Order: sequence, then structure tokens, then C-alpha cells
Amino acid sequence: MDLDLARQAQDGDESAFAEIVRRYSPRVFSVASRFFRQRTLVEEAAQDVFLKAYTQLGSFEGRGSLEGWLTRIATNTCLNIVRGAKRRPELSVADLTDDEEGWLEQQSAGDGGEPASVETSLVATDLADRVLSVLSPEDQQALLMIDGEEASIKEVAEATGWSESKVKVRAFRARKKVREAMEKLLSYKNKGARADSTAD
Amino acid sequence: MKDKHITEILDNTSIPMLSESELNDIRIHALECMSCRGAYEAARLSAVVLKSRVQATIEPSPFFQTRVMAALREQQAVESVPPMLRLWGSAKALVSAMAVTTAALAVVSFMQPSQATPAPDQAASVYSAYSVIMDQDAEEQMSYEQVLSTIYEDDDDAR
Repeated sequence: MDLDLARQAQDGDESAFAEIVRRYSPRVFSVASRFFRQRTLVEEAAQDVFLKAYTQLGSFEGRGSLEGWLTRIATNTCLNIVRGAKRRPELSVADLTDDEEGWLEQQSAGDGGEPASVETSLVATDLADRVLSVLSPEDQQALLMIDGEEASIKEVAEATGWSESKVKVRAFRARKKVREAMEKLLSYKNKGARADSTAD
Repeated sequence: MKDKHITEILDNTSIPMLSESELNDIRIHALECMSCRGAYEAARLSAVVLKSRVQATIEPSPFFQTRVMAALREQQAVESVPPMLRLWGSAKALVSAMAVTTAALAVVSFMQPSQATPAPDQAASVYSAYSVIMDQDAEEQMSYEQVLSTIYEDDDDAR
């Protein structure tokens, strides 16, 4: 089915390619959303992915799923875009907003669980970007796929083209760095809280 | 387990993936070990924020398919033009501008100087040492009438 659609599109059937875009754009957007948070950037990346996929349709042999094949193109395209962009500034606790501090405090007090509202969810997402900024784009992806999307090592290896051992190493290293970054944020926050209570 | 630090376990697996018994062991150790308590807390919060991050997924807009198809047609239109023509298409403006500039320079160089200013060698010949001397002589030379009038003036004076 996927292979037929790919062959039709390759033979110049526009409606077949339009069907591929319609069917798999949610998956491609989901991959691009791991890399970017702005809609315009996600859409641009997704468009690049489909244009690239169109030119490479001949290389799809139908051994895996078309979705898997597109996921791999999407991951590599987005990685290339991110590699070309400037790295984010280093983790700085001074940049923590009041909302972020409040969220950390609430969670540390055991008031946690899943974020309750859209606002708290956004705060958590901002904090995620903050701690993820200490990682390379590749390590970020490994961690987000395994710990965020609960993908298996094998799935990550297929989506990225890395070996399974490389994925494991990346995930371990990324988890450690993120944990240390979060510890740093928490220790600064606690120092700040102690300073406030002394001042009172 | 009680005496063994838990950071390696925390870095090996995400907290939600740990079994209940592993979590119990970690909690017990964290109660007694200050540094591991901080590590556990950080790992737990990291897992929560990472979950939030992947949930922030952007859905494709209803126009996305149309946009991709339009971009594809544009790309195909560009690719259908022969490379030399494509090169000409992008270089056309530059080549035209260069041609106009060259023509303008040619006009300025060859047309205007002949009308307005003498050529450098002409100017040199006008002001050459020879001509200056000769011209001076010419200016000082008296005309035939002047000579005659001078002679006759002298004669008149004599009378």
C-alpha cells in the first residue's frame, strides 16, 4: 500500500504525493516539534522534509513503513537545521522566571504529578528547554524520544540511523547532564529561598 | 543497595521506567544520603519536564498540504528550465547592468574629450618651448604698415 503510493508519486501522480503529505504530516510535525517550538519553524522544517522525500522516493524500497522512512528523513533534516543554527546560551539560573521558580517549588514540595493546566504545562516546557540546552542536538533527540516519547532503543536507532549502542550512550550521557542541570537549578533556587527567609 | 549510591541507576533509566521495587530501594537510600536525595529529586523533575516537552506538539494546519504541493510545483518548474537558462535568469540583471555601465564609460571616454578639452599632446604642442619663443617673436615683429608709418613719421619730424 505504502509502496504503491510511493511509486505512483514517483511516477508523477500529484494526488498520490498529496495523499502521502496528508497522511503523514502529523507524524512529521510531531518529529519537528521535538526540535522547534515556533509554528513557523515547524512548518518550514516539515515542508523541507516532504520536498526532500519527494526527490528521494526512488530510494524507498518498501522494506519498512513509509512513516518510518519519513521519520528518519524528518529527524535528519531537523538535526541539520538545528546544527546550522546558533547554540543556545548556557544554562543560567538567573534567567529563571517567577513562574518557573514557583513550578519547581510546587513540584519539590511533593505537590507534583502531571502539570494541571496549560499555563503550568508551558512553564514545564520552558524548563525542559532550559535544561535541554546543555545538550547537543543529537543527545536532546535521544533523550526526548526515549524518556519523553517512551520509544525503545531500537526505534530511536531506526529513526536516526545511529547504532543501538550509540543511542544507549547518548541517552545515558544526556540523562546525566540533564539531571545535573536540574540539580543546579534546584540548588540555586533553594539558596535563593534561604536568602529570602533570612532577609525576612 | 542501602550503601550504594543511586545516581548510576537514575542515569541508566528514566524514573517512570523503573520498577516499583527499584523505586523503593532508591527512596530508602535517598532518605539517608543527602547527595542522592538531590539527584533523585532532580531526576524526577527532569522526567516531568521532558514529558511536558514532548506533549507540546504542533499540529499541521489545514493549508499545509496545499502549501507543500505549491512548493513542489515551484521546485519542479525551476528544475524543468535548462541549467544555462537558469544561470542566465539569475545573471541577467547583473549582465545588463554591466553592459550599460560599459557603454556609458565608452561614451564618456571617447566622445566628450574631443569636444571639450584638447588632447594632451595638442596641449603640449601649444605650450611647447619652441612655440612660446616663436610666438613671442611674432608678437614683437612689426607689420609692414607700422614700419612705413614709422619711417614717414621720422621724415615728417625732419621737415
